[in-house]
Amino acid sequence: MTTLWVLLPLLAALLAAPASALAGYLRPSLAAPVGATLAALAFGASLWGWGMGGGVIDVAWAPTWEIRFAVAFDGLAALYALLATGIGFAVLVYSSRYLPLHLGHEGRPESDGVGFYFFILLFMGSMVGLAMAQDLILIFVFWDLTAIASYYLIGFDRHDPDARASALMALLVTGVTAVLLLIGALMLHAAYGTFSVPELARMVEPGPLLTVSGLLIAVAGLAKSAQAPLHFWLPRAMAAPTPVSAYLHSAAMVAAGVLLIGRVYPLLQKSEVLLDSFLLFGAASVIVGGFLALTRDVLKQLLAYSTISQYGYVVYMFGLGGKYGVAGASFYVIAHALSKSALFLTAGAVTEATGEDRLSRLGGLRKRMPVLAAASGAAAAGLGAVPLTIGFFKDELLFGAALERGPALAALAVLWAALTLAYIWRFWSGIFLGAPGEGTHGERQLPAALVAPVVVLGALVLVGGILVGPFEALAEAAGKASFASPTPVEPAYHLDARPENLMALAAYGLGALIVLSWPAWSRSALGVSRLGERVGPERIYDLTLRGLNRLSDWAHWAEVRDLRSRVAAILLPAGVLVGAGVLATPSAGAYRVGELRAGEAPLLLALAAAAVASLAATRTRPHVTLALVLSGAGFMLAVVYAFFGAPDVALVAVLVETILTLLFVATLKLIPYEVLHRQAELPLQRPRRKALISLVAAAFAFAVVWGALSQPAAEESVARKLLRLTPEAHAKDAVTAILADFRGLDTLGEITVVALVLLGVATLLGRGGTR
Amino acid sequence: MILAVSLAISAIFGSGVFLLLQRDLLRVVVGIVFVSNSAILFIIAAGLSRGDAPIYPLPEGGLLDAGTSDPLVQAMALTAIVISFSTAALLLGLVYRLYAAHRTVDVEDISEAETREAEALEREEEPEREEEPEGKPAEVELEEETR
Repeated sequence: MTTLWVLLPLLAALLAAPASALAGYLRPSLAAPVGATLAALAFGASLWGWGMGGGVIDVAWAPTWEIRFAVAFDGLAALYALLATGIGFAVLVYSSRYLPLHLGHEGRPESDGVGFYFFILLFMGSMVGLAMAQDLILIFVFWDLTAIASYYLIGFDRHDPDARASALMALLVTGVTAVLLLIGALMLHAAYGTFSVPELARMVEPGPLLTVSGLLIAVAGLAKSAQAPLHFWLPRAMAAPTPVSAYLHSAAMVAAGVLLIGRVYPLLQKSEVLLDSFLLFGAASVIVGGFLALTRDVLKQLLAYSTISQYGYVVYMFGLGGKYGVAGASFYVIAHALSKSALFLTAGAVTEATGEDRLSRLGGLRKRMPVLAAASGAAAAGLGAVPLTIGFFKDELLFGAALERGPALAALAVLWAALTLAYIWRFWSGIFLGAPGEGTHGERQLPAALVAPVVVLGALVLVGGILVGPFEALAEAAGKASFASPTPVEPAYHLDARPENLMALAAYGLGALIVLSWPAWSRSALGVSRLGERVGPERIYDLTLRGLNRLSDWAHWAEVRDLRSRVAAILLPAGVLVGAGVLATPSAGAYRVGELRAGEAPLLLALAAAAVASLAATRTRPHVTLALVLSGAGFMLAVVYAFFGAPDVALVAVLVETILTLLFVATLKLIPYEVLHRQAELPLQRPRRKALISLVAAAFAFAVVWGALSQPAAEESVARKLLRLTPEAHAKDAVTAILADFRGLDTLGEITVVALVLLGVATLLGRGGTR
Repeated sequence: MILAVSLAISAIFGSGVFLLLQRDLLRVVVGIVFVSNSAILFIIAAGLSRGDAPIYPLPEGGLLDAGTSDPLVQAMALTAIVISFSTAALLLGLVYRLYAAHRTVDVEDISEAETREAEALEREEEPEREEEPEGKPAEVELEEETR
């Protein structure tokens, strides 16, 4: 039975994408309802699975590599699976109305939406898989699946160059860091012989190995969660359609990063360095994101920077550690996902109704859209940690965790909470309060399907503010999975002067102060944010990408310019590698002159003749002489083979040399004499350089050959065994026995090559004179 | 003996490399044949024993070192000779085709003609390129300027 409630959410989530694509193939309008139904089903299955207490499935996947298909439905998996499927369902309902309008604006057919649903559901499925995976390789596979899906979703408006560039940026930043995750996993496997996270958690010891591999894995998580300094892809990813932003950038893609950190937290928390680095990156992201959110004018940009800042909190709380930190981080993810997806959907609805996406041109919409204003107000209040919303408790836990670590961190937490309150007030009041903006004169009515998901999510934010129990239980279960021991936290309202309450009051006051004084210093804040764009990490990314492009262009040009550069592109690296190998090999006693037996003088003479004939070929100009010198060198080699005790080889060599000479002369006959003569009369180009290259090549060949031939002979050789077996093959000649019997398959391959060459030559010579 | 064989192999190899670097395609073919020759000689020389031919009846103590030549390397050298001969034949055929197409056996003349052709192709493709702009860096710049 355990198997069932572990597999059911996973299967429902993974099957959603193909099912929706199939339905969309039959009729495009079916894709959304089928996808939403399956998302709801997966949500229900996750809820049921969690209610039944979860379970583990662990089967061998690639046993020789110790990779297992290990999935577990624990608290952490339940939290993220519920978020991915629940908010996924809300976003799909929203998309079913939003996407036809969006495609209509873009002048694209309705069938283009099928791909959208496929990838958003693929994302949901891989997110559920990622939440449940217990094996680092399995985690890596689902991790990359989410990256691929996000690439297509962000670049959904593929005619827009900006959307394509943004999609590439998101893919590169999250994909390249995913490789770090793989490297970290392999390092752990090399040391402990397993990829399983629970097993590793039992085995790892603090030390440099854990710090390095943990840092590699953490960087992958931080990049996915858009933490500074790798945060720049997230605001750019707002080029995606609004439902994608609401989903990927509140509940799914950025959440995957902290999910990974939560999953491997039992390992990471053993290293103080890692926890401190979380504090550092988290704090940097909160400040950068919060500050830039204050300065943004475009709605979705403001929300994107807010997301960076909010996930900064989560990372920061993981860094704080302790039961408040870990359970608080999970609680923060829930509260943030509910509020932020509602706010993104609000932004999309407002833009859809007015055609405006800038705060400076919006305002006073509370009368035209009272329901939306109220629902998104609740969501904004949730993000701003106002009492009676779920958000109040997320800040209560943050303050609690910070207090455990001292007053300095607590003061920082208050400042950040104030910053959050200020920018979210700016967002909500800028849309709904004040005088009507100049961009708000549109008369378009909002479809109910665009408002309903916001209302549901906003209501959940309020419910969580009163009935915090279920959310808290979920966060505690997730915290238990990360912390490896129970994390009882009791978020509740206390009407007394405890430090958390005082800190909250201070945050409200400070937030109000920022809002009121904002006009006075907005100009300088904008200047600072511009400076950040000029010299920030995004600039470094651009420069890197451009440099890589140029390098690739150069390499392409250098390699395929002409035949000689193409040959050089193969020979040069090969030569360098061989040379490095020769230099790296210890040379003491590796070279032997070798004995010279009596009666071997003819062999030496033949060797010298072959070498001289070859050298002479380099000085020969006329082509016919060249052919003769070539055959001379070949026949000399045949003599060498004969003296080596290899009559079979010598015979074949004589035969082959004869035919080759004839072929060469025949080719010369086909080409007019004038062409050959002109060619032979041409002076050598750069003869010294070519001679030098040949000398260097010959020197390397000499070192390698001499070194190889100097190796002592093996005691029991294959040759002796073959020699002994020859009579059993009814042969007298051992070489014949080897070619026709022992290594018959090689000979078959050889014959095939000859036959192919025959066909090739026949084709080359057969087809007319010129093309 | 080892030293002598090594010297001969490297001399043949060096000659082959020198010929490979020429602009005359026929010399390039000869160069490739020489490089193959040096490889075959290396295979033969790598035999663990050197003596009489490995043909029955074997001499007294024929199974011992130095009594009989190593038959395995000979079999491999035979295969190598045939393959290298096939390669040379194919190359000669290609040289003839190149001559038939370009009326020259000079690498540089042929690569010039190739470049001309590639440029002509690119000119034909260009209008299409403008419709579908590729290459991200330019787009980034454009986007930044409009911001």
